[in-house]
Amino acid sequence: MSKLTIELTINGKRRKVETTASTRLLDLIRDDLHLTGTKEGCGKGECGACTVIMNGELIASCLILAPQADGAVITTIEGIGSGGHLDPIQEAFIETGAVQCGFCTPGMILSAKKLLEEYPHPTEEEIKRGISGNLCRCTGYQKIFDAIRLAADRLSSKDSGRGEEDA
Amino acid sequence: MHQRTVPCQGYFAPQKIEEALEILSGYVKEIKVIAGGTDLLVQYYDQLYEVNSWLDLKNIKELKGIKIYQNQMVIGAMATHKQLEMSGEIQRYFPVLSQAAADIGSPQIRNRGTIGGNIVNASPAGDLLPPLMAYQAQFKLVSRKKEMIIPAEEFFLGPKKTVLKPDQLLTQIILPLPFEKTYGSWIKIGKRKSLIIATITLALLVEMTEDNKTIEDVRTCLGSVSPTPIEIKEIREKMIGKKFSELDFNQLGQIVEDKISPIDDIRGTKEYRKDVAKNIMINALEEISSARRSHK
Repeated sequence: MSKLTIELTINGKRRKVETTASTRLLDLIRDDLHLTGTKEGCGKGECGACTVIMNGELIASCLILAPQADGAVITTIEGIGSGGHLDPIQEAFIETGAVQCGFCTPGMILSAKKLLEEYPHPTEEEIKRGISGNLCRCTGYQKIFDAIRLAADRLSSKDSGRGEEDA
Repeated sequence: MHQRTVPCQGYFAPQKIEEALEILSGYVKEIKVIAGGTDLLVQYYDQLYEVNSWLDLKNIKELKGIKIYQNQMVIGAMATHKQLEMSGEIQRYFPVLSQAAADIGSPQIRNRGTIGGNIVNASPAGDLLPPLMAYQAQFKLVSRKKEMIIPAEEFFLGPKKTVLKPDQLLTQIILPLPFEKTYGSWIKIGKRKSLIIATITLALLVEMTEDNKTIEDVRTCLGSVSPTPIEIKEIREKMIGKKFSELDFNQLGQIVEDKISPIDDIRGTKEYRKDVAKNIMINALEEISSARRSHK
């Protein structure tokens, strides 16, 4: 198949990549951009290990052709956190022991990030639904729930702290 | 957001329906039309290389809207499940469709999968299909030569088989706005809540007369019980013209059970599906009956 070039913004950096029409976004991210935090589990959209945020939405990168992501803005697990610091959600996952084998963790954290953007104080049901596209075979999910609640508490107290400073 | 058409023999992403139809008519045999890709890429999981060319509909703005024109809701084929779930107008006028969309796959799938893809893929288990039939949807099919509008119940021919021709695109889904006193219920049964292909689904709609006392019309549509989504029309004669207090829910459930002939497969046996069909019909009638009572 003939080659084509796409342009995308990944973790804040504009990149031009040569690919083919039948390359999956997942393979482009891992093999061409060498961002191997994004994992392949089932390859059929059922496990969520390949989850990334594309144009502000959670997607399964195994179910997207690379040229479908032409012009897109993408965030992978390598793109959250800033200035050498982990994202508060990543910290919460570590502290609560929500990481065991770690394979689901990048996707799980990105799903948690989207969830907390939409629901800063999620209920149990909202957490369940928010991470319903991500399978974890180690933790039994309880510690992941704890991590998400801890992150929610910290993020909201940080936000209110900032609000007071502004005032 | 920056959008462009990648110049490549194997991949086309036109901006206009006319351009898409032109490409389609030139490559009919060797092109795959792709919308969200959530079914297609699973189907082609280990043979993506076999696809010669892709026609990606993502840049065609005309295919994206959800709008009411006069007495009809017009949904562009590229509207995503997430949009159907979140649209205030779909929630208000077509709650059963909105609930079915909310039950599809996972957030990742709902953000990409489209109503047009769900229809054209024509899985017997397609979650949106029974609600679309129940709401009497019509599909607009367009080729370079002509446009046609076809009712949902004539569109599906069998598992993964439809009347859509290789040079046609499904562009719009047209739903008549229901009468004000229309009540609906959506039930999906599967082995887990998320990312499950349904064992059986039911979309039940009941239209009441103006005074909310007598049943004016009813549509009982099921998925995963036959090669295509189906309506159990026998329910109509048992319900139309009656009051809820005159109905025998058990008997109506039995009719649904008797009229379907599902198969045994990995998602459930024929016997299980028949039992469950009866039970979910009864549950749906109870739900609608109590919604009607509380809405005077």
